[in-house]
Amino acid sequence: MFIDWPNIIRSLFSEETAFALAVAVLVLGLVLAYATWRWTHRLMGTTGINNAIEGTTFERTAQRFGTSTAGIFGIVLAVFVYSLTITLAFHVAQVLTVETFWSRVTNVLPQIFIALIAVIVGLLVGDKAKLAIQERLQSVKLPEAAIIPELVKYSIFYIAALIALAQLGVATAALLVLLGAYAFGIVFLGGIAFKDLLAASAAGVYLLLSEPYTIGDEVRIDDKRGIVQEIDMFVTHVESDGEEYIIPNQKVFRSGIIRIRE
Amino acid sequence: MTGLGDLLDEIVVDIDAVLLFSADMSIYERVDENDVTTIVVAEENAANADTFVSLPLSFTDVTGRIRFGLEGALKQNLVAEGDEVVCLTQSFDENEIDTIIRIRADEFTQTGVYDLFANSRANADVVRDVFEVAIGLGKKGQKGEPVGALFVVGDAGKVMNKSRPLSYNPFEKSHVHVGDPIVNVMLKEFSRLDGAFVISDGGKIVSAYRYLEPAAEGVDIPKGLGARHMAAGAITRDTNTIAIALSESDGMVRAFKAGELVLELDPEEY
Repeated sequence: MFIDWPNIIRSLFSEETAFALAVAVLVLGLVLAYATWRWTHRLMGTTGINNAIEGTTFERTAQRFGTSTAGIFGIVLAVFVYSLTITLAFHVAQVLTVETFWSRVTNVLPQIFIALIAVIVGLLVGDKAKLAIQERLQSVKLPEAAIIPELVKYSIFYIAALIALAQLGVATAALLVLLGAYAFGIVFLGGIAFKDLLAASAAGVYLLLSEPYTIGDEVRIDDKRGIVQEIDMFVTHVESDGEEYIIPNQKVFRSGIIRIRE
Repeated sequence: MTGLGDLLDEIVVDIDAVLLFSADMSIYERVDENDVTTIVVAEENAANADTFVSLPLSFTDVTGRIRFGLEGALKQNLVAEGDEVVCLTQSFDENEIDTIIRIRADEFTQTGVYDLFANSRANADVVRDVFEVAIGLGKKGQKGEPVGALFVVGDAGKVMNKSRPLSYNPFEKSHVHVGDPIVNVMLKEFSRLDGAFVISDGGKIVSAYRYLEPAAEGVDIPKGLGARHMAAGAITRDTNTIAIALSESDGMVRAFKAGELVLELDPEEY
């Protein structure tokens, strides 16, 4: 990356100038790091990320340590920028001539930071998703439903961890297979579980759009005869004397509708 | 001060329940530590109380509010008839408790106002939304002129069979629900023409311009109300629906159920 820089500088200027240049790079890095830190704070304030992540566990933990998510992000990015400039400065000054070591550090550095950011983002998104789903399920007063937000949270954590590990070069093939099996299980089992609902809603879309019968019509579906009271996405309510049939829409579709006109 | 304190003690002594017309968590916790049941009567159960009566409208009138709360508590068997109840409510300030009222639970005759919301065919949310539309219409009118309107809510299939169209139905093949933001404007425009709005159990606006044809014999509504109210009373007796009428002449919103006038509201107070 910086192979020729020190020698070019040395051929143009003296040894002292090169050293001074290294110090200048260090100072510049300090300023840049500070600017990055400020910029992150401002960006997270103006884009509303700060409001979005309020109340997540990560944010609360950060606040207990006297900082905030924006602060941690800022520090991570600032450290990243500063470490890059330090490497550059060392390189220019030729203080450490163990070339291979430093070139390896500069190669690994971005990966470490991306992994770190993946972990932080994963923690935030997972928590946020959990909170959002919890809010949705609040009206369902069923203790078993509490497992769904947790499941979503840990799934997101798992994916974030996978990204971070892959960034660091750890062998993640086994974990990927596990993720694949998990995703396949969700899609496959979900497909089986929601088969009827999907069929009903597909039929419901047609019924709502073309309205072959409307509320108030007298119809017969199979041998259930009555007045249509309500049509929604999944079911049709048909009412006869004292009995209300709630018929899944795919059944309406499959067996056909007989409209009764007198 | 002791005289005043004694008087207050006398009001709250030997009571069976407290009706708290506020969902404020801190107030609830302060009141609830006694050994009498505290029943929260509010629009939302923000205090997570076990005993809760949901208030569908923010009644500004204290009597109406207490009447609704008591009736709801009685219907849910939270209090028994003859119980002594203390109501903590707001008379002037919107948010702070400023009124203590001691009342017997069977003080009011049961009008069925709680049943209107909780035990109608239509969802309570739908009934509330229709009330809000009617109140909004009564407040503003159509271009400053007072308007009348009639909403028939629930049991839409039967109502459609007991009515005929006066004109083309503007809501045909549309999927508009009361509570959608656009509805207020639409209903305001359509209220210029005569006829009733028919709304289904789930809140779908089925039709406008319906001429209701129920049998009106033996419907007993207060004298002086017009044809619209007579039709409202009659349709609710013939079917399981409820009817909410906005009077053009006096601007009042009236609700009918099972052929009887259940609730009367002045839109200007909301």
